[in-house]
Order: sequence, then C-alpha cells, then structure tokens
Amino acid sequence: MRGLIYKDLAVLKKQMSTLLMFLVVYGGFCVAGVFDFSILGALVAVFGLTVPMSSVAMDDSAHWDRYAVATPAGRRGVVAGKYLFTLLVIGVSTLAAALGMAALSLAGLTEEGVADLMAIAVSCGVTVVLLDAILLPFLLKYGAEKARLISMITFVVIFGGAILLGGGLSSGAPLPTVPEWVLTALPVLLVILAAGGYGVSYAVAQGIYARKEF
Amino acid sequence: MKNALEVSHLTKDYGSFKLDDVSFTIPGGTIMGLIGENGAGKSTTIKCILNLIRRDGGAITVFGRDNLREERAVKEEIGVVLDEVLFHDMLRPRQVGKILSGLYPSWDGALFEHYLKQFGLTGKQVVREFSRGMKMKLSIAAAFAARPRLLILDEATSGLDPVVRDEILDELLAFIRDEDHAVLISSHITSDLEKAADYITYLHKGKVAVWGAKDELLDTYGKVVCGRGDLEKVDRKLLVGSRVGQFGCEALVKDRRALAKAHPHLAVEPATLEDIMVFTGKGDAQ
Repeated sequence: MRGLIYKDLAVLKKQMSTLLMFLVVYGGFCVAGVFDFSILGALVAVFGLTVPMSSVAMDDSAHWDRYAVATPAGRRGVVAGKYLFTLLVIGVSTLAAALGMAALSLAGLTEEGVADLMAIAVSCGVTVVLLDAILLPFLLKYGAEKARLISMITFVVIFGGAILLGGGLSSGAPLPTVPEWVLTALPVLLVILAAGGYGVSYAVAQGIYARKEF
Repeated sequence: MKNALEVSHLTKDYGSFKLDDVSFTIPGGTIMGLIGENGAGKSTTIKCILNLIRRDGGAITVFGRDNLREERAVKEEIGVVLDEVLFHDMLRPRQVGKILSGLYPSWDGALFEHYLKQFGLTGKQVVREFSRGMKMKLSIAAAFAARPRLLILDEATSGLDPVVRDEILDELLAFIRDEDHAVLISSHITSDLEKAADYITYLHKGKVAVWGAKDELLDTYGKVVCGRGDLEKVDRKLLVGSRVGQFGCEALVKDRRALAKAHPHLAVEPATLEDIMVFTGKGDAQ
C-alpha cells in the first residue's frame, strides 16, 4: 500500500506542483479582492477530482495495473491504494484551503469569520468525497478516458440540479418545506452520506476489480 | 525435490481460443522453458498463474500453496518480468525501487542497487529514456530484488541483443543454484532455452504438445534429411512432422534411435527445440 501511495505521489508530482501554483495564484487574487475567499474551497474540488482521475490516466497509459496486480498488493491492494490516495488528496487540499482561509481571515482580509470559512472548506471536502465515491468505480472499470464523460454528466446533474433548485427557491416556486431538524443536522447528514457513500463505492469498486482481466 | 510450481488441468476458454487441460510442474532448482508459437497460450498460462485472468478450471500451486486461496503469500514468493515494462515513463530506477519496496515485504534494497550498478542503470535517466534492453534489465533487477523463490519471465528476452540475453541467462542460472529457487521463462528464442532450461513445455494451440526434461527431449528427438521415396518408407508412427521440398525432405522423428535401427541408411541428426516446435506444428497441420 505504501508503495502504491508513493507511486501516485511520484508520478503526479508535476501536476500537483501546478495545482499548488493555482492555490497560490488564487490566494493572491483573493488578497487583491478579485475573488471571494470561498473560491479556495472550490479548489478543493479541483484537486480532489482531477488528481485521482490523472492518477488513473497515468496508470492506464503505463498499463501499470497489470504489473501491480501481479505483486503481493493484488487486486484488492490496487483498489485500496487508489481510494486511500484519493482521501489523502482531499484531506490535504481541504486542510490547505482551510488553513489558508483562516490565515487570511485572521489577518483581517475578509469580514467572514474563521468558523464560516472552515465550514466552507470542510463542506467542499465532504462534497468531493461524495463525488469521488460516484466517480472512482467508473474510473476503475472503464479507465480515465471513458470515465471522463461520466464525471462530466455527474457534474451537470449535480450542479445543474443545484442551480435549478436555487432558481426555484428564489422565484418562490412551491417546493416542499424541509423540516428544521434536517437543516440543523445537515452537516452531520452530509458527512454520514459521504462516508457511507465512499464505503459503498469502495465495496463496488472491489467487486468490479475482482472480475477484471488484465 | 519440492515442486516450485504445479499447474494441473488448467483451462481457460476465451471462445475463439481455449487453453485446454494444461499441466506441468517445475521442480525446485530448475528452469522451465515455456515455448510455443504466437497465440499458443504461453501468456495466458502465465496470467493464470499470476491471477491476472480468471481460470475456468484446474489448479495452480506455488511451493504447495494455492495461487488463489493464498494469493498474497504466493505473490510474495514470485518475481515477475512481463513482456513489456510497465513502470511509468517519468520514474527513475531508484523511484521504482522505492515503490516496490512498499509492495514486496522481502524487498532487498541493497540487491536492487547492486543490479542497477551491474546493469548500468544508476544514472539520472528516467524510464522514458531507456532502450528496451535497459527497461528489461530494470524489470529483472526489480524481480530479483523482491527476493522471490520463483521467477516468472514472459517473453522477457525478446527484442534484446544476444549480449544482453546472455547476461540475463547467466543471472537466471546463478539464481537457480539455490535448490529452493525456480524459473519459468516463456520465449520464442529457443536457442536461449537450449542454453539455460532444464525442462521444456511446448504449448501448441492451447494444449501441451511436448513436456519433459530438455536433455531427454534433445536426446530422443531427431531430424532426418532424405529423399521423398525414403521418407515414404518410414513408419508414420515414428514421424512427428515433415517438410517436403523440391530436392528433398526433412522430418522430425520422436525416437531417433528407433529410426536409425529401422533405417540404418538414413542420416539422423539431433533435433533442436526449434525443430521440435516447427515440425510439431507442421505435423498438426498435416
């Protein structure tokens, strides 16, 4: 497992450096007042979705999985490695975004409180876990090229749905009222949904990979 | 002597191709050469051993352990060199070593370094800049450094120059000096196997056509060169396959001593593995 994580880090070093540059540049824009600080939260989504996809794409082009499955890691280890690496990427980028936003808030560069900014970063991280839970089984079954289309459809469905919902709410459309307790428990529910979804996704991916022929 | 690998009644059906009831064993301290034409089932057999594909029937044990039930333990005993190098292009050899040290519990970093030095791979070059020979040497260094007891090489020497191939064969011979070690090598280059292999399994159209100790095979089989009339007089049971030309015939015989006894006037040469492979294929076609 350690070897597979190191492999992903070594192979994606260049891409991750580029993404880090994005973080610095967008952080600069936020300081300059061009963007809101919450944009750093969106970068968590960029990191969390593009890095695992690139990792699978790199493995596909080298046919690495054929070799990895022949090592003691086996099929289960390859899947576990990819899921762990994805969690690591999301975790580290969420932490970086949260720390960055907190530092800028404490420096008095935004009116928003540290707690609110932290909540933005964490909710972005949790949402990305959920999106990756949908994406990873497709990535492992069809490879990065074909799964790219599926990820685009997922984006359109989720974000399109969110925009429609927002539009409906602002235009006063008769939408069902959400009970108060649901709104209060929403962060916890989201975390449970993400963790459960990731677990189910892992089990599905293991099943897919167990049947795959190399 | 304990068997390193036992393959019994292995079957894999792709529809258009079937690996059919393949059985062979590799005793410890020996090298098994797996030969056969393209598409004969060599890679399919190796993939089944490594559980890269699902077999439809049969059993495979490595040092007495089932390759599916005890997959992890089995794979810890196996070093693999596949037909192409599957390390990412941007990696340096030492990074490959670092990756594999996290995958193989018995990884020997010092041995890997030793092979990198021996094979001249210690520079700053990345895999992308390597020649095929260098890539194969890197794979072989990695396979040895995993400290396996069974080494599996799938067409690892194809496309390499004779000097590199000879170097690799020397390493394999050194590896099996330990009676607890064994090698399974599939190759088209039968001359390499004549040099290094102790046993030969010849796969033809998914089935084992010939299996046995290499020296015994080379001692028993023979090639006869004669006229068409002489060939027609030879008992068909003795013939494996023949090639009839305008000026004469060539035929492979299963028992060259029996042929010499029955037809003392015919010159019987010792057969090579290539002869066995080519004429068995021809015999099947006839």
